Amino acid sequence: MKISNIQMINGLRKLAATILLISLSLLNFNAFSQGEALFKSKCATCHQTHKNGTGPKLFQVRDKWSAGGAKEGSIYQWVNNWQTAAASDPYAAEVSKWSPTAMSAFPDLKKEDIDAIMDWVDAQPDPAAAASSTGGTTDGSTGDVSAESEEEGSIGWIWIVMGVIFIVIIMAVGGVKRQLNIATSDDAASQEKLTYGEEFRSWAWKYKVYVGVTTLIVVISLIVGFLQSLSRIGVVEGYQPSQPIAFPHAAHAGINGIDCKYCHNSVTKSKHAGIPSVNVCMNCHKQINGEGKPFAGEIQKIYKAAGWDPSGAGKYTGKVNPIIWNKVHVLPDHVYFNHSQHVVVGGIDCKQCHGDMKTMTETAKVQPVEELNKIEGNIKLTKPTLTMGWCIECHGAKEVAIGNGKSGYYDEIHRRLKKDKALYRKYLKDGKITVNELGGWECAKCHY
Amino acid sequence: MKRTFLTVFGFSTLAFALLFTSSCTSNPDSSGYEYMPDMYRSPAIEAYVDYAEIRGKEVTALKSLLSAKTPPRNTIPYYGTDSNEVKLMMPNLRKANVAFKETHGLFGIDLSILDEYALAINDKNAIPLTAKNSETILKNGKELFTAMCQHCHGEKGDGNGPMVTSGAYAGVPNYANLTALSDGQMFYSIYYGKGMMGAHNSLLNKKEIWTLVHYVRQFQDASYGKFDANGLLVSSATKSDTTAVKP
Repeated sequence: MKISNIQMINGLRKLAATILLISLSLLNFNAFSQGEALFKSKCATCHQTHKNGTGPKLFQVRDKWSAGGAKEGSIYQWVNNWQTAAASDPYAAEVSKWSPTAMSAFPDLKKEDIDAIMDWVDAQPDPAAAASSTGGTTDGSTGDVSAESEEEGSIGWIWIVMGVIFIVIIMAVGGVKRQLNIATSDDAASQEKLTYGEEFRSWAWKYKVYVGVTTLIVVISLIVGFLQSLSRIGVVEGYQPSQPIAFPHAAHAGINGIDCKYCHNSVTKSKHAGIPSVNVCMNCHKQINGEGKPFAGEIQKIYKAAGWDPSGAGKYTGKVNPIIWNKVHVLPDHVYFNHSQHVVVGGIDCKQCHGDMKTMTETAKVQPVEELNKIEGNIKLTKPTLTMGWCIECHGAKEVAIGNGKSGYYDEIHRRLKKDKALYRKYLKDGKITVNELGGWECAKCHY
Repeated sequence: MKRTFLTVFGFSTLAFALLFTSSCTSNPDSSGYEYMPDMYRSPAIEAYVDYAEIRGKEVTALKSLLSAKTPPRNTIPYYGTDSNEVKLMMPNLRKANVAFKETHGLFGIDLSILDEYALAINDKNAIPLTAKNSETILKNGKELFTAMCQHCHGEKGDGNGPMVTSGAYAGVPNYANLTALSDGQMFYSIYYGKGMMGAHNSLLNKKEIWTLVHYVRQFQDASYGKFDANGLLVSSATKSDTTAVKP
């Protein structure tokens, strides 16, 4: 009886404690969530918790102000209107010089609201610290790459050296064997006269059928191989030039969902798809500096190119070093190709010719046609990528959207075609109007 | 005689074998052999081509230092013969503030010492929305928005694009909170940039930006750009003045 009483009292005490704890945390949570909501709606556009952006990072900013010798309460005045704070407090005046961009005024935020925001901000963990403990060093990636290529080169040399040693051993053994044969032979003539060539000739004569057939096969296969290798001249499949910056398309177009047309922005207007100039990179990388990530060194190259000094609020210095990218898809001068014609009028998806860049982790490459054929929705082709056969094949297979209003010239052709009933019916025999039926196989379309 | 043949045959076999093995080890940095380089390389100036190589030798003084070249200053691209269109494409008279040199890297262009962003409040959308063109403009706007803005600003304009949800980027505002912005200020922000956002005038021309301004208004007012049977605007709370035409 006594024991159970004690147990009950103990239980009640525990219950009370839990209730108290829960209610306390709920109270806390309310102020907390209010701070979060306010931060997200009012501050987050310019301020981040642990990273400088348009405005400085806000983590423990109250401590920073009091440590810096700011007047009591001037930080709240600053949030309401920075100009009144800067006029009365020299520390605030100093802060106003941090960036040429002035902070907006928030006269409706009360002291409690500001404290709620700051409490929430101070409770946020530093994501960069967490990342750096797991990630590598800043320049780790570039170091790895050079080491790897060096290793590959040395492996090649080892094979060549080993091959030479092997051949020397075989020849030495063969020579010794032959000398032994000559020495032990009874025939005096053979001892003096038989050279390597004569020996080989007599051996070949002895087995003339086998030698003849083998020679024939070898000669024919060599000729076939030679002709085949001629047909690979001018084929650039697999061309993947090294680039000044290790740019992963997968991270940009894949994970972060950036449309191809954002960076390759002249694709809808011009013959060229366009390589983005560095100011386009900076539209995002002004904020994304990759601090603590293995690719931070690559982003530093962008900053150097753009003349961006990331210290403090960050600023452009005007000292630019343009990046020189290596062109991947190069067509001969005697062929005319226009991106906007294919993308806007033809409505071709980028992946038909360039492959699925959303999963491409390496630098850009001329995708072999086998790789392109694996992609869903692509027209399946047989000829190597970027050859004339490849273009022609696609022009013979691609269906044209009649009268889509994307090009006045083609709309007129479509209108005239529809007038000519007999021809229209003839073209429609295979169920579709293809590019070649509208002149896509004319020599002068691409060669002039 | 036979011996010479055999020697020649043996050597040529060896040479071919070497050729084949060497062609098997492909170097991704090499685009391979060409039949006639003089037909492949353009003597006329083409974009993205380096003209430093002359007869197999690289001339350092001629080496290209830019991949994408900038057009000569104060040149205007040809925009056809429609005078309204050409007027729309004339250089932007609203200049950026001098502070944009440091914050947005706008070196080498004319800047103003005035608070141009505040002055832009009175700029009207250069493409007036009418019952006739509203549907096309908003359709074009959607296409442009999907390609150029969506990755940060989100499909619904709430600032939750894939860049933000993946955790790569933070601080994209919700358009619904920016109703106080005038059309002119919105144009200014896209053209010269604002805060973290960079200048987009190299990616979008003036016509496209004004089209986007119309499209973005839809996120703030669902009835924006909708006209009733009489050709009158349905939307009530719009800031855009659809009667004035000023580029």
